[in-house]
Amino acid sequence: MYCISEKQIDFILNDISARGIEMVSLQQDLLDHVCCIIEQNLKEDGDFESFYFSCIKQFYKQDIKEIEEETINLLIHKNYYVMKKIMLVSGGLCSLMLSVGIVFKFMHWPGASALIVLGILMMSLIFLPLLFVLKVKEKKESKEKIIIGLGTLAAVSLSLGVLFKIMHWPFANMLSLMALFVMIFLFLPIYYFSGIRNPETKVNTIVSSILIIVGCALILTLVRSPQGTRKVYVQTTTTYFRNEQILQKEHDLTVKSASEIEKSGLDIYNSCEKLKELLLQKETGVTKITSDFDSKNTLISESSISDYLAMEDTSDLKQQIENYNLKLEANKQKIAMDNSFFTSENMKIDAVLNNLIQIQMIVLQNQRS
Amino acid sequence: MFALSFKITSMLYSSELIKGTLKTIVLKQLENNKRMYGYEITQRVKELSLDRIQITEGALYPTLHALEAEGLVTTETEYIGKRVRKYYSLSPNGKTKIDEKISELSDFMNTMKFLLDINPQTV
Repeated sequence: MYCISEKQIDFILNDISARGIEMVSLQQDLLDHVCCIIEQNLKEDGDFESFYFSCIKQFYKQDIKEIEEETINLLIHKNYYVMKKIMLVSGGLCSLMLSVGIVFKFMHWPGASALIVLGILMMSLIFLPLLFVLKVKEKKESKEKIIIGLGTLAAVSLSLGVLFKIMHWPFANMLSLMALFVMIFLFLPIYYFSGIRNPETKVNTIVSSILIIVGCALILTLVRSPQGTRKVYVQTTTTYFRNEQILQKEHDLTVKSASEIEKSGLDIYNSCEKLKELLLQKETGVTKITSDFDSKNTLISESSISDYLAMEDTSDLKQQIENYNLKLEANKQKIAMDNSFFTSENMKIDAVLNNLIQIQMIVLQNQRS
Repeated sequence: MFALSFKITSMLYSSELIKGTLKTIVLKQLENNKRMYGYEITQRVKELSLDRIQITEGALYPTLHALEAEGLVTTETEYIGKRVRKYYSLSPNGKTKIDEKISELSDFMNTMKFLLDINPQTV
């Protein structure tokens, strides 16, 4: 039996790792294996090096590295089926949740938004990434991997963008725009020009590219242009500004003609004024809209009252109005509270502001009649 | 007659044939011998199969690593002088899996016999 020295062990280890075996546990396996063979078969006075080289040659066909490659291959293979299963299940689940969620939404049944949010989250964070990982493993060329990566990136950010948009979370527009940018300017050119060269995939590539362009165009058709958005905001602000002017005039007239506004009405009037100031401050940065709002860019946008106020913040006013309505003489007008921001917490801010003006107008009119 | 039997015993099965059954072979060896290191497994299989099955290193170690990743075998390391020897043994999970693997393989062999129209040797 041959006795291997420590120096020779180092020699073998260095040789194995220099030839591309990088996994430590595999190095240990192969080292021990070679040593066993040498110890068993080499005579005590035999030539270590030449025996080692002839022996290690039997381990592989072309290169010893193939053992490590095969190991990695098998390790990936094992996860492959689990991942594929999870992908299919999550894909099925998310399409189910999305379609049921949409039906719920149209029927105004509870749970619709939870279903839709979960469906989109599952699609963009589980299904699409897994699809990417599995597809990438199938492809060998790095160009194909890049195409899949870009496609996945675009799809994930598009679906997250839509999710952020409906949930009123920040960066929704940025996400969607990035998705469309990646899709049209990065994914599409690479996909198109690499697919069109191969006669087998040519027609498929052209059709898919057309579908992608049409899809993006349809999405963009639904999106309002920045100028269009500004125009709407200017209109909204103008309406509010005019209402505010009318109210002001009415207030002056009332104060002039009638005596002092009675206490409970005045309280309501002032509470409304405060709420308006608060909302305007948060929405535009100023407490009052002036006639030069267009040039100063203090525009009322499409925020909802829930962005700025909780239901409790309006409860004082609600109490005041309820008391006011109770004490009101029969010939006077009650302040209506149904279908206003008292009952719906997602009301748009311009509707809330105009609601408040209406309440103030009623108080003034009751005072004068 | 002698020549014929000699020919059969020295015949080596191709690695393609062995590939699909390697996991089962390795698991069975570990079941019989508690814990073994790689070289020992190749020698044992070679001996039991009368030299007809020689597991190559390039097939054995990837398979052992895959079995370890699947949780069917566990390893323990021991120092032999300066080098490390890794002993492989069946995990509890592997012990339950081995019967399943063997019955699957024997089922497969029966199907192959039928499919390839191989007459039973007893006839």
